[in-house]
Amino acid sequence: MGGATAGRPRGFSVAWRRHKEALVLIAPGALVLVLAFLFPVGHILVLGFLGEEGVSLEHYAAFFVDDYYLGVVGRTFRLAFVITACCLLVGFPLAYLAARVGPRARILLILLVILPLMTSVVIRTFGWLVVLGPGGVLSDFLQAIGLTGAPTGLLHTETGIVIAMVQVLLPFMVLTVLGVLQRQSADLEEAARTMGASFWRVLRTVTLPLSVPGIVSGSLIVFALSISSFITPTLVGGVRLPVLAGSIYQAATGSFDWNFAGVQSTLLLLTALAVIIPYASLMRRRTSWQTGAAPGAGHE
Amino acid sequence: MISGVPAGARAIAVIIVGAVVIFMLVPLAVVVLSSFSASQFLVFPPRGLSLHWYGAVFGDQAYVAAGWTSLKLAILVTALATLVGTPAAIALTWHRLPGREILAGLFLSPLVLPTLIFGLGLLMVYSIYGNGPSFSGLVVGHLVICIPFVIRTVGAVLGASDPSLHEAARTMGANRLQAYWHVVLPQARPGIAAGAFFAFNISFDDAVVALFLRAPGMETLPIRIYSQLEFSPDPSVAAVSTIMIVITIGLVVLIDRFLGLRRVV
Repeated sequence: MGGATAGRPRGFSVAWRRHKEALVLIAPGALVLVLAFLFPVGHILVLGFLGEEGVSLEHYAAFFVDDYYLGVVGRTFRLAFVITACCLLVGFPLAYLAARVGPRARILLILLVILPLMTSVVIRTFGWLVVLGPGGVLSDFLQAIGLTGAPTGLLHTETGIVIAMVQVLLPFMVLTVLGVLQRQSADLEEAARTMGASFWRVLRTVTLPLSVPGIVSGSLIVFALSISSFITPTLVGGVRLPVLAGSIYQAATGSFDWNFAGVQSTLLLLTALAVIIPYASLMRRRTSWQTGAAPGAGHE
Repeated sequence: MISGVPAGARAIAVIIVGAVVIFMLVPLAVVVLSSFSASQFLVFPPRGLSLHWYGAVFGDQAYVAAGWTSLKLAILVTALATLVGTPAAIALTWHRLPGREILAGLFLSPLVLPTLIFGLGLLMVYSIYGNGPSFSGLVVGHLVICIPFVIRTVGAVLGASDPSLHEAARTMGANRLQAYWHVVLPQARPGIAAGAFFAFNISFDDAVVALFLRAPGMETLPIRIYSQLEFSPDPSVAAVSTIMIVITIGLVVLIDRFLGLRRVV
């Protein structure tokens, strides 16, 4: 260790001379990143480990013995799994269509997911409050087709949260899968068709296996965004159905228990990282394969 | 185009697209339609037709002030994010910095890590080391979530362009600044423009960071809407939301006009 520290100044000055231009270019961004992102996030993680007398795990202990918070974590994950599955079920066919139709139709399909994506999540959630509320559009519709007799509402239900969240996160699934599908040409599918395979067989044996990287990265990003979502589950679910993100907000701004907010933030961040790191490596492999920097990687 | 698709598959495709169109656009359509309601209450379908609630929004000091705050914030954040993000993107794509991949990952991490945790962390830092949240504090918060968009769009454009042009300019006698100004910036321009559009959109629409960094007398439009939703919203929320939807559509049209949606997505 001692040798490494002694060697650092010299190594640094060499690095500085060699990369001066790049370091000057990157400095303002790095300053913002470190001071306004890494430092605050690090700060909140440390708070979870600070007790009355120095370092302690008392806040973690308090979290893990409380059935209420375990329930919150359970709900957060249950919802994230269902939301991811629904996004995949709807998003894959849509992305496949968008990848294989003509350019004009593709633009329209992309617009269909981009426009809601670029609208504030507060407004989309507001729309769902009106749709899902008692006497709302959905309730009227269900009554009209005779499924229910009395006005029903899906507000303050997990089903309601799933419906609204799938609309919020579907664009991420569609755009990620589309990105992968567009890079693979339709030639392989054409070849399989020419050799006599049926449409469904090609879909099952050619298209689906080739789309696995897209399906996996799309699912990972939707899952990660789902467990950290705050606005939609809080407004649609209400106080009776808290998720982890809502519980963090409550601890921080409701009961001002910053240490406890730190505990929950750490758990959320670790889970998000466990999902995001494989996602990032998948995306990186895809891009390096695309630029040809790592030939052969695409065959895995 | 795929040839020889069975009729069954075509039918399924039509059903899926139809269902997704309804599913994706229903919440927006409901908001827009309710904003023209003549009723005192937020009901759907709206009873009667009027522009009353638009008048109410423009006559409401709280909405107007929030609108100006959001606009000032988004413009400032867009300018700063492009100024800081563009050079960083150049360094990350064209320069062989050691640990470049990890560095790029760190710079893009605010895109995927929980915004909520970051917002809370920033609130704590402002409260402990400063005087609590403020307008400039919110600008910094939005910068963090907007810079990655600029880095990504500029990086994508530069990654597809030729770095040897820049080197050629230097060899032929251009100084550093001239090479950047006349060679690199023109190449990066579509990426900078796309990044700026996204930065404006993210800052103008953000509710999570702004919710944590709320300060007395400073409210953005999304936060104004959020706090109305927590209680009992009247159709004025629908009117102000419709105005924001129109601004979003305008942005999307602008992006498509100047850059082409296909290239940006």
